[in-house]
Amino acid sequence: MNVMEINIFGELLIIPTDVIAAWVLMIIGVPPVLYWITKKRHWPLIWDYATSTNHRKVGTLYIFFSVLFFFRAGIDALLIRLQLATPENQFWVFQGEKYNEIFTTHGTMMIFFVATPLLIGLMNVAVPLQIGANDLAFPFLNLIGLYLFVTGGTIFFLAFFFNAAPNVGWTAYTPLSTEDFTSGPNNNYYIMGLQVSGLGTIFAAINMIVTILRLRAPGLKLTRMPLFPWATLFTSFLILVAFPVLAIALLLLQFDRFYGATFFLGPQGHPVYWQHLFWIFGHPEVYILALPAFGIFSDIISNFSRKNVFGYTSMVLSLALIGLLGLMVWAHHMFTVGLGPFANTFFAITTMMIAVPTGIKIFNWLFTMRRGVIRMQTPMMFALGFIPTFVMGGVTGVMLASAAADMQYHDTYFVVAHFHYVIIGSTIFGAFAGIYYWYPKITGKMLNDKLGKWHFWLFLIGFHLTFFPQHLAGLNGMPRRVYDYTWEDGVFVYNFISTIGAFLMGGSMLFLIWNIYRAHRKKEENVGGDPWDGRTLEWTVPSPSPEHPFEKMPIIDRRDMLWWAKTQDKPIPVEEHPRAIPISTPTVQPMLIAAALFILSFGFIYHWIWVQVVGGILVLVFFVNRAFKDERIPAYEKEESEDEY
Amino acid sequence: MSTKAMSQDLFADKRMGFFIYLGVEAIMFSTLFATYIIYTPAPVGPHPSEIFEMKTTVLASIFLLSSSGTIFIAEKGLDKRSTKMIIAGIIFTFLLGATFMYFEMHEFHKFIKEGHLISTSNFLSSYYVLVGLHASHVVFGLGWMIILLIQLKKQPFQLFKEKHKVFIYYWHFVDIIWVFIISIVYAPYLL
Repeated sequence: MNVMEINIFGELLIIPTDVIAAWVLMIIGVPPVLYWITKKRHWPLIWDYATSTNHRKVGTLYIFFSVLFFFRAGIDALLIRLQLATPENQFWVFQGEKYNEIFTTHGTMMIFFVATPLLIGLMNVAVPLQIGANDLAFPFLNLIGLYLFVTGGTIFFLAFFFNAAPNVGWTAYTPLSTEDFTSGPNNNYYIMGLQVSGLGTIFAAINMIVTILRLRAPGLKLTRMPLFPWATLFTSFLILVAFPVLAIALLLLQFDRFYGATFFLGPQGHPVYWQHLFWIFGHPEVYILALPAFGIFSDIISNFSRKNVFGYTSMVLSLALIGLLGLMVWAHHMFTVGLGPFANTFFAITTMMIAVPTGIKIFNWLFTMRRGVIRMQTPMMFALGFIPTFVMGGVTGVMLASAAADMQYHDTYFVVAHFHYVIIGSTIFGAFAGIYYWYPKITGKMLNDKLGKWHFWLFLIGFHLTFFPQHLAGLNGMPRRVYDYTWEDGVFVYNFISTIGAFLMGGSMLFLIWNIYRAHRKKEENVGGDPWDGRTLEWTVPSPSPEHPFEKMPIIDRRDMLWWAKTQDKPIPVEEHPRAIPISTPTVQPMLIAAALFILSFGFIYHWIWVQVVGGILVLVFFVNRAFKDERIPAYEKEESEDEY
Repeated sequence: MSTKAMSQDLFADKRMGFFIYLGVEAIMFSTLFATYIIYTPAPVGPHPSEIFEMKTTVLASIFLLSSSGTIFIAEKGLDKRSTKMIIAGIIFTFLLGATFMYFEMHEFHKFIKEGHLISTSNFLSSYYVLVGLHASHVVFGLGWMIILLIQLKKQPFQLFKEKHKVFIYYWHFVDIIWVFIISIVYAPYLL
């Protein structure tokens, strides 16, 4: 049974059964959770996190919601794999349009609401502590950014529940994504969800840059920073270039869909202009996902090898170079468009050049480990799994970069395999490594190493089982974004193995959940500030990190200062007159602004003018309210009165 | 050590953050300028030179650009801590900005009356999105000035000063974008 026909008030609603199943699951599943929260008296804790502007708490929420969306988009992936498991398969409802919806949801969600915020969450937790900042420069803005991400994610998430999931792929290529070809609210969800969360990402990037440039501990020159803050800095600059372009692209698409403009279709419009705008955003986005992971791996590999990073300067320069080159390779997604031999050559060469700084990083990681005292614990395992996986993704990347050969690879499963190798290989491995590594800093508890290794091995094996055969399926001509193939196509074996691997990956995630549940089941004692015998500043403060962790501001005169202090058995000197601490007070205002934006977005999605007006007015009202309820008023009044003598 | 240290540190943070934000806006506007250049003039609908009016553009520009001058009065007032100058500066700027908006609305109204709509041609679509986004920035700025006048009464001076300075950066930025609009949107079709 694929659809259910429901008669409400004389109107016939035809609803696919997967949507019904999801609603039923929600209705059965949510009340017990609410009951459990109430019974355990967790509401005050939830309220504390929902209103706190402390960087660790905001970061924890970023990670929490990303992981939630990760499970949602992961289930989509499993459903995709079930449909593709055998030739001429008819699994449940996932054929035709429903298949388009599910791969669009999977891709969009994984990129925008899992990978990006997962890394921003880790930056939030770790970067201020690594550079001796007491908080991010703009704590209020930080909470706004979180709420924009959660609101955008929720808007996108809800589309499926209203049987209106976007269905044109995560790239939303025009003219398919314009009103003429895909009418209805589906792709409006895509526009509004991305617009809202994208703004949040921009705010997060601004916050990171100012924090890194202005709030470092005294003596901690940029050249003494650990590599994760460095990666965060470059990533933030990439966000500043990429996300505004996406915002405008979405705005233009919105004008096409809503107000009768024809930027991307018709006799005057240029569908390829969308592709340019999208990839000017989209390709830097790939490096926005990869660079922070590189930073995390650098810190972890150095820590677990008990050595400083090999080739620090070249590490920083190659980050910069990857970022710079990443801005001028976007048209390698468009080789088959027919931009001409000059453009194709240019973009092929810049793309291949990226392999050079990336190769430098790979060798530096290997040399960091050489002659190190290596500890094989879970974060290090993920870092070690990353290196060969990412190299394989890089090699197929260079293959895809040769424009002539790309005519064959384009839009096949070879591409699918490639980008899963690089994105899962870097971002997801990096995020897992980071979560295991900084979990004690976030909660004061360690995750179990044995379960962590189960998670790692199952994930790694499942990953390669899933995606390696997809190269072969692609080379045998299997196009991406199709829900069906025949026995004669000769790709059954690859797809079947791929499906098995996907379920291994899915299963491995249960070990992570069990691990986290186990860590919090009983009240174990705190693991202390420095459970990994760390080298960088975050391990000098207690776990979980307190508000204003650097009341005694350390003075830094070298890299890996903590390690130096340990080996020399000397205390880190303390600054008497540190700079002012950003003012962070709990606030409900971001929640209100996000709620107003939520209303406004639904007004746009369904073309309800009055809801748009109400939502818009509410946004402005809360904005003005904020102008008069600035959290800094008391502090400034105090300063003012002290000044009047 | 001065007791003003906190507000100075935090202001410097905020200034850097706001400048970066203006950079983000600049990228957004440049994308729209690119869009306008690509689609103008359009093969259908009116040619820009047929519908743009020298008089409206010049008057609007005079009012908006001079408002960048009057805001200096307020800035002087901030340094001298003179409430009168601050209020005078904001009110002058507000009036000039509002007059600019009058001409802007006049132009939009005229186009719409003559049947030149968003959907008429890609030139007009990109014109409306670009100039409309700029106009909404001006309107936002007008609202911001009203709020500043209230904040002047209610908030500690140092905090007010910070907010006012940020507004001044914003207003100059909106003016600079207008200069680009004159030279890219209007000038090629008026001169």
